[in-house]
Amino acid sequence: MAPLKSLEKEYPLIDSNFQSFCSSHGIFSVEDFLLHDLDALIAFADNHPTSQTLKQGIDQLLSTIDALQPPLLNGLQLLEDAQRNKHVLLTGCERIDALLGGGLREGQLTELVGPSSSGKTQACLLSASTVAKHNSSVIYLDTGNSFSPQRIASFVGQSSGHVFDNQVDHILKKVLDRIICYSVFDVYQMFDVLHQLKSNLRSEIVKSNQHVRLLIVDSISSLITPILGGSGPQGHALMISAGFLLKKLAHENNIAVLVTNHVVGGEDGISKPALGESWKSVPHVRLLFSRDFGSNVCHISVLKHPSMASARAASSTLYL
Amino acid sequence: MSERKRLKFESRRKARREMEKREREEIEGWIGGEESAGEMLSRVSSVRPFLFPPPLHRVPLRVGNVLELVGPSPSAKTHILIHAAITALLPKHYGGLDHFVLFLDLDCRFDIARFSQLLLHRITEDGTRHCDQTLYDLCMARFLYARCYDTFQFLHTLRTLHCRLEKEKQVHGVGVHLLLIDSIGAFHWMDRASMFLSQRENNKKKLFLQTVSEAVVQNIRKLLQVHPMLVIATKSVIFGNKYSTSSNELKGNMEERCSRNVTRNHQTFQYREYMPSVWQSFVTHRILVRSSDDHPVATNYQNSSFYLLEWLLPRLNFADKIVVKDAGVFLDS
Repeated sequence: MAPLKSLEKEYPLIDSNFQSFCSSHGIFSVEDFLLHDLDALIAFADNHPTSQTLKQGIDQLLSTIDALQPPLLNGLQLLEDAQRNKHVLLTGCERIDALLGGGLREGQLTELVGPSSSGKTQACLLSASTVAKHNSSVIYLDTGNSFSPQRIASFVGQSSGHVFDNQVDHILKKVLDRIICYSVFDVYQMFDVLHQLKSNLRSEIVKSNQHVRLLIVDSISSLITPILGGSGPQGHALMISAGFLLKKLAHENNIAVLVTNHVVGGEDGISKPALGESWKSVPHVRLLFSRDFGSNVCHISVLKHPSMASARAASSTLYL
Repeated sequence: MSERKRLKFESRRKARREMEKREREEIEGWIGGEESAGEMLSRVSSVRPFLFPPPLHRVPLRVGNVLELVGPSPSAKTHILIHAAITALLPKHYGGLDHFVLFLDLDCRFDIARFSQLLLHRITEDGTRHCDQTLYDLCMARFLYARCYDTFQFLHTLRTLHCRLEKEKQVHGVGVHLLLIDSIGAFHWMDRASMFLSQRENNKKKLFLQTVSEAVVQNIRKLLQVHPMLVIATKSVIFGNKYSTSSNELKGNMEERCSRNVTRNHQTFQYREYMPSVWQSFVTHRILVRSSDDHPVATNYQNSSFYLLEWLLPRLNFADKIVVKDAGVFLDS
């Protein structure tokens, strides 16, 4: 948010007189203005000789902030938006779709938690290939060089079934074209990519087959764990603001966000998801992956889901 | 000369005596009171009673109260909020309170589909009653929702709420009497880190977190003055939870695990309070919700979770067991 000086060009009412009045009350930027007691400020403005212009300046400032204001919706409008815009994306695996109540929902952040090599990246690749096959773009943020085009090719080949070879090649080329992969190795790079994506989506007029519908961050815990710890709150603040940025992207652009997380040891030796207590309030849906040593069988259970009353009842095993 | 002085003196004395008499009457009238305690109770309880169905039924709540639901994630906090909202939305002959509800979603995780499902369950009472479409539409239209992605949006929303609520009241004739905030600690980490980025050079040297909380409380208070409402806010525990370790050490680990049902119920749940004191003193009631450790061996309910709900303020020394099913939140007897 800007210092008041920078608004002077666009809004002539916020002139130097107004700025000096504000500085006398400790208001140097728009943020300070929001934190200040507005009624007291207006009362002071009343006593000032140039009260009319000051009050107009205050109104002007309020209306510029209003433009960034989230609207007040009612339940019917919300439901209509959810039904019309927030579709369900199939992940390509029926068991996972059943656990998720249909599939990955646009506007929601889904988290896959599990120890290493429990099938999380496989599930991400499978979802990416399925969504790309259905004429949508996928953005894949890869933090550990785990993105594998060969695996995507094998998924496409498996699901194409009885189709001729050159047609499969054609489909595969299209699918791979629609998956945009970024390698990010620290959290600031991820923020860069996400902010870039946000401004692209806001300004661009996209063709229907290039709509981004899925955003995958594999794995977000490897980006955030290095900055957590230490005595300051900056690490946690970055984690929470990353969560809000992802949720904002998801809600405003109708994208489903899929992130993966690893596990750490907890009390009594039971493993628990990494990233701590504060992260628990970020994702909408949490799935726990586990795999028995040396077997192909992957066990998935639901830790949290907004539409499900209980987590315990839902679990599934599958081969990935 | 002396005659005039005497007259002046007399008049002044008379004026003083009259003033004293008026003051005395005023004071006596004030002591005497306008109504008795019994009359006041009957007046207040007929004006705005808030009778929530379980699980919020233990303590009567009215406008101006601020109730805080604390609990680790996941617990049934948002479900309890939705439960209270549906009770408030329904008209009186359905057992509701017949007014608007405002939901400020700071966690940005609200699922309208689940809300709609729970509302339908309540209207049809699990299929025993016919679903009235106009009633459903009316209730959904009475549910007002706003979401905020950071503190400044939250502050600005609170500030502009007054005009928007005024408009709604004029259009529909029914006011907002319930404000739900989910969850009040959502921006806590971001606000704490902000103090290092702040460029303010004022002498007060107040923490940014403190300033923000004061602004939030002040704005809510101003809003409550114009639109009296009951405020229910959820707050998640963000510092990890520690069960009290004394009982663990006494009994030893193996015995602890064997005698789960006996010991776990009496453990006190400790959590660290992280909201600034200005918010803590604003809160008038507090409830702790946490997941229950005893799972019934023979589960009659397929899709349900059990939680313990305990009133911390005012302190009631027992915990209610609540169950969250597909149809909503119920008291588990």
